[in-house]
Amino acid sequence: MTDEAQKPSIITSSLDFLVNWGRTNSLWPFPYGTACCAIEFMSTEVGRYDLSRIGSEYVRFTPRQSDVLLVAGTITYKQAPILKRIYEQMAEPRWVIAMGACACSGGFYDCYCTVPGIDHIIPVDVYIGGCPSRPEAFFDAMFDLQKKIKDESYMKQRASRVKDQLEMIKAKTAEAKAAAKDFAQEKVEMAKEFVAEKEQELVKKAQFWKE
Amino acid sequence: MDFKELTEKFGGKLDAQAKWDDCVVVPREYLHNVAAFLKDDPSCKMDMLVDIAGIDYLTYPNHEGPRFAISYAFKSLKHPGLRLRLKVLVSESDLKVPTISDLYANANWYEREVFDQFGIVFTGHPDLRRLLNHVEFVGHPLRKDYPAQKRQWLSTNDYLLPELEKRLETLGYWIVQRSKEVETKDNEFLEGSVKE
Repeated sequence: MTDEAQKPSIITSSLDFLVNWGRTNSLWPFPYGTACCAIEFMSTEVGRYDLSRIGSEYVRFTPRQSDVLLVAGTITYKQAPILKRIYEQMAEPRWVIAMGACACSGGFYDCYCTVPGIDHIIPVDVYIGGCPSRPEAFFDAMFDLQKKIKDESYMKQRASRVKDQLEMIKAKTAEAKAAAKDFAQEKVEMAKEFVAEKEQELVKKAQFWKE
Repeated sequence: MDFKELTEKFGGKLDAQAKWDDCVVVPREYLHNVAAFLKDDPSCKMDMLVDIAGIDYLTYPNHEGPRFAISYAFKSLKHPGLRLRLKVLVSESDLKVPTISDLYANANWYEREVFDQFGIVFTGHPDLRRLLNHVEFVGHPLRKDYPAQKRQWLSTNDYLLPELEKRLETLGYWIVQRSKEVETKDNEFLEGSVKE
């Protein structure tokens, strides 16, 4: 009995396509919810709108396991360093969605305590308007983000990363070489001084014996 | 209630400008005594402190007298519907008011808020720090001479764990390991999070 599934099968594709396909369909959000936009996100997540249809199944409450930082709500100056720290804790690749008027521009809080847009702190990929924004708008933003991720090239990013690393290694080796050179020069100078001292001593001794 | 005791005993004055409720202007020296009287006297029994608010009269039209005022709102749970507002006038040169946080426990945070937003110092307060604004904030934002859109950045986040541990110790808990703040560097932030 021969089964089609038992035969060896090969699919050819580019690595970029494969990686982007995986990334677009498993965007795990980290909800940084501080205001009413977070309530809208809750209704997006559960039954009626069901965010897991596009693969954002798990809402991760740790930055180390999530891909999308979802800033939903007002960010005050007291919170700004916390948000920055959470963004820095996320692993690459990472994307940021600013949800609602407050996260995009500070909203109607034109005052001493509210950050006028989170792009003063961290880079943002997609902005959503609305106060608060509807779940449909949130879905639209997720589709936009997926389109954006499909345009990215994993190989180019990797090449630039390797280039950066090479440059860093070159700079470090140059630094080490310069340091070694300085050290050798110091040693040579010290040896020269030593020799000069010894010569002077010998001259003195010779003069003493002459006398 | 006609607040005879307040006007006779403590030298208070009924505020003529208050249209919708009863407001008594009390001299600063008697504030603590008035609060204790209101809390304990069986005729009023105002055992609930609703709010403490600061007022800045700098740009108020037709105002005479000191620049700042603090308004205390009390409510009685024993006599339903009995409410009273106390007002204390404070001049800009001497911004000091006695605390009532030993009588009402919730006055602690209210007074911290008024100190934060108006810079009024409450003498005898156990822990007078900023409540709403961050630690690097300069000035008092709800004063009328503070520019409302002047923004101030915070460079680090508040590290509150040692304080929390102190409070746990006073409650009788035993701290096994004291936490230490981790200084992250730009290049090696993952190394910074590793325990020593």
